[in-house]
Amino acid sequence: MPDTQALVNDFLNKLKKRKIEGSQATARQTAELLRSVISQQRVPYTNQAGALIDAVKAIGEQLIAANPVELAVGNIVRRVLHIIREEDLSLTTAAIGGLNLSAVSDDENDDDRDGDSTLSAAAVAAAARSTLRPPSLQTLLEDTPVSAAVPQTSSSGGDSEGKTADKSSRSRKLKHDVIEAVNELIQDIVTCHEQIAEQAVEHIHQNEVILTLGSSRTVLEFLFAAKEKKRSFRVFVAEGAPRYQGHLLAKELVARGLQTTLITDSAVFAMISRVNMVIVGAHAVMANGGVIAPVGMNLVALAAQKHAVPFVVLAGSHKLCPLYPHNPEVLLNELRSPSELLDFGEFSDCMDFGSGSGSPLLHVVNPAFDYVPPKLVSLFITDAGGHNPSYMYRLIADYYSADDLVVQRRATAGN
Amino acid sequence: MSMSAYYQTRAAHHGVVTSDWLAQSQEAATRAVVTGGQEIVDGGKSGRAFSVIDEFNNWRKQPDLAEAVAAIRALAAVIRNSEAKTMMELEIELKKASDSLKSWDTTSISLTAGCDLFMRYVTRTSALEYEDFNSARSRLIERAEKFGEISYKARKIIAMLSQDFIFDGCTILVHGFSRVVMEVLKMAAQNKKLFRVLCTEGRPDRSGLRLANELAKLDVPVKLLIDSAVAYTMDEVDMVFVGADGVVESGGIINMMGTYQIALVAHSMNKPVYVAAESYKFARLYPLDQKDMGPALRPIDFGVPIPSKVEVETSARDYTPPQYLTLLFTDLGVLTPSVVSDELIQLYL
Repeated sequence: MPDTQALVNDFLNKLKKRKIEGSQATARQTAELLRSVISQQRVPYTNQAGALIDAVKAIGEQLIAANPVELAVGNIVRRVLHIIREEDLSLTTAAIGGLNLSAVSDDENDDDRDGDSTLSAAAVAAAARSTLRPPSLQTLLEDTPVSAAVPQTSSSGGDSEGKTADKSSRSRKLKHDVIEAVNELIQDIVTCHEQIAEQAVEHIHQNEVILTLGSSRTVLEFLFAAKEKKRSFRVFVAEGAPRYQGHLLAKELVARGLQTTLITDSAVFAMISRVNMVIVGAHAVMANGGVIAPVGMNLVALAAQKHAVPFVVLAGSHKLCPLYPHNPEVLLNELRSPSELLDFGEFSDCMDFGSGSGSPLLHVVNPAFDYVPPKLVSLFITDAGGHNPSYMYRLIADYYSADDLVVQRRATAGN
Repeated sequence: MSMSAYYQTRAAHHGVVTSDWLAQSQEAATRAVVTGGQEIVDGGKSGRAFSVIDEFNNWRKQPDLAEAVAAIRALAAVIRNSEAKTMMELEIELKKASDSLKSWDTTSISLTAGCDLFMRYVTRTSALEYEDFNSARSRLIERAEKFGEISYKARKIIAMLSQDFIFDGCTILVHGFSRVVMEVLKMAAQNKKLFRVLCTEGRPDRSGLRLANELAKLDVPVKLLIDSAVAYTMDEVDMVFVGADGVVESGGIINMMGTYQIALVAHSMNKPVYVAAESYKFARLYPLDQKDMGPALRPIDFGVPIPSKVEVETSARDYTPPQYLTLLFTDLGVLTPSVVSDELIQLYL
C-alpha cells in the first residue's frame, strides 16, 4: 500500500504542475496507476466489487481535483469503474449458472425448491444486468431493490452448498479479470492512432485539399495512412498561434512527401473556399457532441460552416467525456502564461505591478482551449468508427455507467 | 363546440374556473352516483368499462398527480376488480380498458403513452418468472400503485440533473405551468442560486400568473410578460425552460400553444431551449406539421362578444420540431433529442 501511495502522490504532483502534455499520455498513465492500485488492493470475501469501486473512487476524486480541465483523467477513472462493475456482473451470472447446474444434480425431493430458486435467480441476474445499463423506458416499472438481493443470493447459495473454496477463487478471479480488462484499455489507448488511421482512405480522396490547425498526432497518422494508400492530396496548415505547433506539423508532412501550405490563423477565412475538407484533432469530446479543442478551432469551424466544408474531428475513445458542458469557454478552459504572447523584456513597463499605482493597464489573456458546438461538427472519427455528433450518447452508454458520473466516495453508512 | 378534456382538467388545476367547466363537473358527479348504483346491480362488462373512465377521472382531478399515473392507477383498479383466472384473460381485459380510456380522451398524449407503457410492462412480466397467477397479479397491482412514487421521484431526478445548467446571475424564460419545471426552479432556489425568471402570461389559460405567484412565494425575482413580448425580451434571456405534454418520436415536443413560437425566437437568437419531461411522456407519434396531430380545442374567452362569422383558432397545443430544442432533461438522464427514438425503439420493438 505505501508503494501505491507514493505513486499516487507523484502522479498528483505531475498533474497539478501540468507536467504531462496531451490527453493520450495522461490517459495511459492514469490507467496504469489505477491498475497498480487495483492489484495492490486487498479485497474482503463479500462484496469485492464494492471495495474495489470505493478504492478507485477515492483515488479518482483526488486525480480529477488535481487537474479538472484535463478531462481524460476523469474519463479513464469512469471507464475503470465501469469495467469493475461489468466484470463483477459477468462473474455473478456465471456463478449463479454454476449453482443451477449443481442444484439439478441434487436429490429429487429438493427439486421443487431448487426449481423456484433457479427461476428467481435467473430473473435476479436479468434484473441486475438491466441495472448496469443506464435507466430506460423498459425498466421504468421494474423494482430497483432487486439489485441489492444479488450478492445476498450468491453468498447464501455459496454457504448452503459449502463451496468456500469456490468463493476464494472467485475473489481472485475478479481482480484478475479487472486487471486484464484494464490492460486491454491501455492497449486501446496506445493503439488508438492506428485504428483511426485505418479509416483514412475512406475519407480522403484523390486531389483533395485538406485544412488543419495546429498539430495533432492523430491527424498526422491519419494523413500518413492516406498517403501510404497512394492518394495524392494537398494540406493547408494553419499555424495555431501562440504556440505555432502548425510549423512542426508542416515540417513533418513535408518530410513524408506531402505538398503543404502554411497559413496564419487569420487567413483561414480567406483560404477556406479552396478547401475540400477540414480535419482536426480534439482535446476532449463532450456528451452532447461538443468539442474542446486548441484555441482557434471555433474560428475554423465557423469558416467551414459558412462555406459548407465538412468539418471532421478525430478523437480516440479516451477523449469521450460523459458530462454535458455548461459554460465551457470559462469552466473547461485554462489560461496559460502571457509570455507566450509577449516578450517580458520589451513590455515590462506596461505589465509591471511595481511601477505606478495599482494594477497594470495591459492585461494579457491566453486561453488554451476553444469550445466548438455540436452543430458545427459534421463527423467524428473514433477508433469505433465514424459517427455524427448526435450519436455520442450511444458510445457513452457503452463505455460508462450512470452511477459513476459524479466520482465521489459515498460515506459508508452500512452496506 | 367540442372541448379537449385534457386541457379542461389542466385549466381546473390552474384554478381558472370557467362556468361551463363547473356545469360539466356537476353533471359528471351526478352521473357517477347513478352508474355506481347500476354497477352493483349489473356487474356486466359495460359497467366495468365505464367505471375505468370514472376511476381515471377521479384520479385525474388531483392537481399534483400526473396524467400517466392516473391512467395506470385506473388500470390497476381494473386488475383488482377483474375476475380473470389466467394471464391471457387479464391481458385482454386490460387491453379493452386501456383502449376505452384512450378513445375517451384522444387528445391527451401522456394518457396514451402511460397506457401503452403499462401494457408493455404487463406483457413482459407475464412472460417472466411467475408461474402462480395470483402472485403475478398482486405484483402487477403493486407496481402500478408504486408508479406514483416513480413519477414523483422522476421529478426529483430531473430537478437534480438540471441544477448544473442554472448558473448564478442567469435569466430563465418559462412558458406555461409545468410541475416539473416548477420543481426544477424550486430546487435551484433552495440551493441558494441567484437567478431571475421571465414568465409569459400564457393566454388563454393564464397559467403564467399562477407560476409567477408560486415563484414569488419562493422569493425568486419574477417578471411577467404578455405572450407577444417574448422576442422583445429574448436579448436578456440566457435560457428557455419548458415542460412537455408529450415527447414525440422525432425528439420534438408537444406543449402548450406558444412553445413553438418561443423556440423559434430563441433559436434565431442562439439561446438554448431546455425541456423537462418525465420519460413516460415519450409517445409513438411522428407529426409532420402542426395539423398532423389530433385536434385539442379549448375555448378562448376574449372578454367581448365575437360576431359569429369570425373564426377563432382554438387549438390548445403546438408541436416544436427537434432542431429547435437543445437538451431534454428526463429521469433517464440528460438527453439530446435524437435519443428519444432510440429509447422508444428499445421499448416497442
